[in-house]
Amino acid sequence: MNKIIRRYVPFMKAGVQNLVVYRLNFLGFVIGGLIYCFVMFYLWKAVFESNGGGMFLGFSMTDMVVYLFLSNTTSQLIFSGVSNEIGEEIRDGSITMRLLKPVNTDLSYMFNELGTALMKVVVLLIPVLAGLEIYRFCMTGTVVFSAVNFLLYLISSVLAYIISFRVNLCFGFIAFYVKNLWGIGILKNSIIGFLSGSLIPLAFMPDGLRVCLEYLPFASMSYTPVMLYMGKYGTYEILFRIGIQVVWAVLLYGLSKLIWFGAIKKLCIQGG
Amino acid sequence: MIYAEHLRKEFKKTVKEPGLKGSFKALFKPKKEIVVAASDISFHVPKGEILGFIGPNGAGKSTVIKMLTGILTPTSGQCRINGKIPQNDRKKYVKEIGAVFGQRTQLWWDLPLQETYNVLKEIYEVDDEKFKKRMAFLNEVLELEKFIKSPVRTLSLGQRMRADIAASMLHSPKVLFLDEPTIGLDVVVKDNIRQAIMKINKEEQTTVILTTHDISDIELLCDRIVMIDKGKNVYDGSLQKLRENFGQTRELVFETDNSANLTEELFRKGLKLDECDLVFENKKNNYKIRFNSAKIPVGEMLSYTLSLTKVKDISVKDADIEEIIRNLYRQGGASDE
Amino acid sequence: MKRILKIYTLLAAQNLKRLMEYRADFLTGAVSFLIDQAIGIAFIFIIFTQIPQLAGFTFPQILFIYGLSQIPKGLDHLLTDNLWCVGYFIVRKGDFDKYLIRPINPLFHVIAETFQVDAIGELIVGIGLLIYAAPDAELHLSVWTVLLSVIAVPFAAMIYTSLKIMTSALAFWIKSSGFIIQMVYGMNEFSKYPTTIYSLPVRIFVTYIIPFAFTGYYLSLYLLTGENPLFNIGGVILVSSVLFVISVLIWNKGISAYESAGA
Repeated sequence: MNKIIRRYVPFMKAGVQNLVVYRLNFLGFVIGGLIYCFVMFYLWKAVFESNGGGMFLGFSMTDMVVYLFLSNTTSQLIFSGVSNEIGEEIRDGSITMRLLKPVNTDLSYMFNELGTALMKVVVLLIPVLAGLEIYRFCMTGTVVFSAVNFLLYLISSVLAYIISFRVNLCFGFIAFYVKNLWGIGILKNSIIGFLSGSLIPLAFMPDGLRVCLEYLPFASMSYTPVMLYMGKYGTYEILFRIGIQVVWAVLLYGLSKLIWFGAIKKLCIQGG
Repeated sequence: MIYAEHLRKEFKKTVKEPGLKGSFKALFKPKKEIVVAASDISFHVPKGEILGFIGPNGAGKSTVIKMLTGILTPTSGQCRINGKIPQNDRKKYVKEIGAVFGQRTQLWWDLPLQETYNVLKEIYEVDDEKFKKRMAFLNEVLELEKFIKSPVRTLSLGQRMRADIAASMLHSPKVLFLDEPTIGLDVVVKDNIRQAIMKINKEEQTTVILTTHDISDIELLCDRIVMIDKGKNVYDGSLQKLRENFGQTRELVFETDNSANLTEELFRKGLKLDECDLVFENKKNNYKIRFNSAKIPVGEMLSYTLSLTKVKDISVKDADIEEIIRNLYRQGGASDE
Repeated sequence: MKRILKIYTLLAAQNLKRLMEYRADFLTGAVSFLIDQAIGIAFIFIIFTQIPQLAGFTFPQILFIYGLSQIPKGLDHLLTDNLWCVGYFIVRKGDFDKYLIRPINPLFHVIAETFQVDAIGELIVGIGLLIYAAPDAELHLSVWTVLLSVIAVPFAAMIYTSLKIMTSALAFWIKSSGFIIQMVYGMNEFSKYPTTIYSLPVRIFVTYIIPFAFTGYYLSLYLLTGENPLFNIGGVILVSSVLFVISVLIWNKGISAYESAGA
């Protein structure tokens, strides 16, 4: 284990440095996300007011704010750029360079991103959570923070990241067939945004649709961790939701491996 | 025709300290540093001349070319070409120049080559008749017919370079800037391109400024060279003069057996020569000594060497122009003239 | 002027020819933006299953505002998409050189070079929503209101363009300004809904500082009420003209600070 970690630490460091080099881009995305949250905040405020205040489909305004900011932050935290990276590498042929290195290809991508993710926890998640808890304290007059829920959130987020990573890995291979990676990226982000509930809480969707979406892997990507943090689930449901995440992580791991082997075969035929 | 006066260009650069700690520091407080790409460059090129503009990597050649073409604004100093200052009257100015940057192309990547010329015709306002004549001329000089209908991305490097030169010549510019036009090409293609440049220069009296790392380009094409290093002029004059000034250099090459242990010290002291008159190189038993034959005759040098040790093999050569230029780079300067 | 039009059509034609070579890509882009839009609308739909009115506007009216806001956005997207590339990599990689050695205005050259068909997604949704929502939105239709609104749309698009010119020009100083374009452009989210839902500082911000409110809400408000043309329509024209002049000044200043790339 130690040996493995030592071997992949350089990839992690590269991830951190990458964020530094593109720090302004990173800042842009963070601020862009916050702007979006604020637009949504005002929109929901208007919705709650038009609804005569109080509850909206089982959410209070305070819940809504926590949901909005936390699901956006979680999406950014578990965001995986691996689809773009693989896509670019396939296009310019540099993927062969990666295959030549004596390391596990998936893991090298993953540790690369882990570095970025750790930085995001420090500069994004902690401040947002602190802000939200202060907000909740001001609105309700009591400390709502629960260490158990926070822990559950962390566990679930790690699973969410693994799922997101695998989904993106699969997406990246589309580059073998389509050149317009940028268009595909937009498509992917908006589909995931919708299906994962980071745009509209899944709880607000019509029942049949909601049940379907809750079982799809996308819900595991930000909805489940956020709902766990908010303490919306009972004990039995907590286990059930995390169970679904684990199942998806395993299934997608298998799927991405399958595609990967197919891709390598294709690469050999095309000659990279 | 072309006057460059005390051109200077500074760039700002962000520096990062090494390691993770440096990364964190750079995240919040990046450090800036000023880099001087060209500190003081002056020269003059008369009409119709082909000027070789040379210098080692990072000397500031491209920076100067970019200032002359109006892409970069000099930090101080100025250039005038045909009486115009590139940065002030850009639109009119660029109609009089053509530029080829060997490392990138100005052709439309995904479209047949002919399309690029059709677009450039409109951009440069070349009228139909002139365009026809011009294409015929360029066709003849650069032999474009074979690939003019193919998409640019399918062209070989040599074809692409010819196409790029044609693109920069379409509007009959008075000055042509060629930044490494032969980079990465094989000998035959290089020769083709040189012929074309010569022809264009002869027939149209086009003034050409050429940067290159290939000494044959200079020997075959250039009337004069300007050499710069570390952002400063180090030589300005004809190739002829350069050869005369430094042409006294000879190169002595020999191999000894294992017992010999020759040092630079030994030669310099023994022959009473200073640094610029003797350059010493050795690898194991192989020695290479460049020396000024005006200071020490070849015969004397030979007999001195033979008196020091037994040699297996020995020869004396005239230094070629490449050698001379390498020497100039290494010494970081020679006086003008 | 005639020459400019000629060059523009010529460059746009090159672009279309190129697109024809990659037909699948062209479809991917347009479909992506279409789906992105559909999701935005689904969101409004879900909200309105629960409430009859939002900030005093009915469902068709909100759709109308949303739809109208997408038209200037789509127009700008269609015509000036290359500015993103200036901010993201054209300047950083030194590819801007080429625009500076051509005898036409570099800004015009950059813009004319791409014709972004992806934008059709936004335009279809925008126009579709207008047609769908107009009958029930209780519009104030007259020759005047329609004419003035049609005139105002290109100016509204110019607000987008000007903001993109300004932010992409920053790349001349800081090498890559993609993130700033992203940030400022992202604020167009504010234009999709009535500004009355925002608090006062936000409202002032999106009206006078990053004036996206003019690209959707105020324009719709004029068609919905027929009132206040001086602010709702005149404002669009004034704001976009001022913004455009400022953006061109910044752009030109930027060109002289351009550092190219390489040695």
